[in-house]
Amino acid sequence: MRLARYVVRRVLLLPVLLVGVSVLSFVLSHLVPADPATAFLGQRAAGDPVVVAAFKHRWGLDRPLPVQYWIYLEGLLHGDMGTSLSTRRPVTVDLRERFPATVELAIGAMVLSVVVGVPLGLFAGVRRRGIAADAARAVSLLGVSTPVFWLGLMAIILFYAELGWAPAPGPLGLEVTPPPTITGLLIPDAVLAGQFGVALDALKHLALPAAVLSTYSLGSLTRLMRSTMIETLTEDYVRTARAKGLPHWSVVVRHAARNAFIPVLTVMGLNFGNLLAGAVVTETVFSWPGLGQYAFEAASSLDFAAIMGVGMLIALTYLVMSLLVDVTYAFIDPRVRIG
Amino acid sequence: MRPALTPGRAEVPTDSVRGVRPMPGAAGRTRTGRRRLAGYLVRALTASPLTAAAALMVAAWLLLAAGAPLVAPYAPLQQDIVHRLTPPSWTHWAGTDTVGRDVLSRVIYGARISIPVGVISVSLAVVLGTLVGGFAGFLGGPADEALMRATDIMLAFPTVIMAMVITAALGPGVRDAVIAIMIAWWPSYARLTRGTVLSVREREYIDAARSLGVSPARVLFRHVLPNAMSPTLVLGTLDVGQAILVFASLSFLGLGPPPELPEWGSMIATGRNYLHQWWLGTFPGLALLTLVVALNLVGDGIRDAVDPRLRDR
Repeated sequence: MRLARYVVRRVLLLPVLLVGVSVLSFVLSHLVPADPATAFLGQRAAGDPVVVAAFKHRWGLDRPLPVQYWIYLEGLLHGDMGTSLSTRRPVTVDLRERFPATVELAIGAMVLSVVVGVPLGLFAGVRRRGIAADAARAVSLLGVSTPVFWLGLMAIILFYAELGWAPAPGPLGLEVTPPPTITGLLIPDAVLAGQFGVALDALKHLALPAAVLSTYSLGSLTRLMRSTMIETLTEDYVRTARAKGLPHWSVVVRHAARNAFIPVLTVMGLNFGNLLAGAVVTETVFSWPGLGQYAFEAASSLDFAAIMGVGMLIALTYLVMSLLVDVTYAFIDPRVRIG
Repeated sequence: MRPALTPGRAEVPTDSVRGVRPMPGAAGRTRTGRRRLAGYLVRALTASPLTAAAALMVAAWLLLAAGAPLVAPYAPLQQDIVHRLTPPSWTHWAGTDTVGRDVLSRVIYGARISIPVGVISVSLAVVLGTLVGGFAGFLGGPADEALMRATDIMLAFPTVIMAMVITAALGPGVRDAVIAIMIAWWPSYARLTRGTVLSVREREYIDAARSLGVSPARVLFRHVLPNAMSPTLVLGTLDVGQAILVFASLSFLGLGPPPELPEWGSMIATGRNYLHQWWLGTFPGLALLTLVVALNLVGDGIRDAVDPRLRDR
């Protein structure tokens, strides 16, 4: 019963936070000195007051700010995020088109960092001296210290330009026809359509950018898994399990690792939102047609509606992920609910 | 720590990752946060050879930045169009760029931009975060509630996107990138400071100060904040490397200083268009990597010194 109330409270809080995010992104993007008219019309046309006035009227920029915000909020409630200045299309349409590519990239990165980081951190936590420990330390340090855009460039130079192992940057080969859109994610769509060759090609194109994007979360997951593993191994129930004479690795895997994985799950959930945001740079390096590139183009042309759309979408994902994580947590660990 | 541009900045909620906790009992001492930080630094350097080596690396970068005009073989803007895009050689150890400028000299000069940007943007964010968090924790009640919900919203908004919007709006440039990083980062310091202020506020010496008739403002600035600041300062030192990475990413995206300035991120961006001239992007990236690795190692060392329980984690 208390769990239900907790969930309801958290879900009810979500729209409040979202309104806050929308106000924030609105203020951020409108209270700045730069003028979208100059950015969009170019220097010459922006010198003509008639053109500028028409432009501002066309996009509602001549209204007072609170009115502009109210109009935006009203639209938002009807699922309308306004029209992008640069693509001239509804922002929701643009986002729907771009979001799946970013999600696919972020999922790829997440899978890689979990598959490598969790076992590495686990071994390093169990054997605190030796190769695994050193490797884990190096991975976690380099993972959080490496400039992603530089790593991406190095990867392209080495694997594409020099060795020719990797395909040209982009989500699919030029000669490959994209599969019919079902989920919007290339690989699942291709598999669903039975086009396994296309799926393989998409996978090959995904590998390098996903690996590059994964570095940061790989570093932090390895480090976290190692530290929680060390902590859990000192728990009484682990000692009890050992005292019962259970074999070493059975204690490690079935008793310690399971519990150590809970905080890791939390960070994974929150990392996912960060991966989406972090994709901006990776997408630019790898010409990936996702949200990151869209955000970058929008920011450079002061396309307010598009910027706010991206901000809201990523903030929403982040909030939903942290909600899911917290609820899962409360479900697993009743102590959380008291707070 | 922050992924994001460098995949943003991970607002990792579990403090065992960031690992900064208020020292039990430490707040009662009269030493100020800054002096305590210096003590931690000394302890960190003497505790581990790796930290000491990293500190040497940081020192080397600081010296290179300070002495760039003496150390760099060429002037960073000196063009030699005949010898453009030449690979590394004895005359140009790291090769030359698209207009024949010496890459090594530009990498050395780049430290003069990146290091101050990292330090200044984090310092500004720490100051702002400490003030907001301090007021929130000290005042309590509705003011606390309002300030903390505001930081929650700031934290939910993606750091990178926020920094991008701010730099795009203010116009690209070093100063605006610094402002962007400051605005995007202060909320995490505000949260941390508020937490420590809440515990410091309840201490006896604060009651004592109050009962002596000390004004609330003076209690906050002279008694509460100095004793609540050390975790925030430690977190700040851990973040300088990440701030340098974020700045380089913004610059890589074209939202930093103008391209002729010797800045690592924009140098790497040039390398993108010349895939077969590998030296253009490789050397500035190595500079970033070595500096940030060293800063992170020193930060880890300081964190271990602050809270030895976290060692080996």
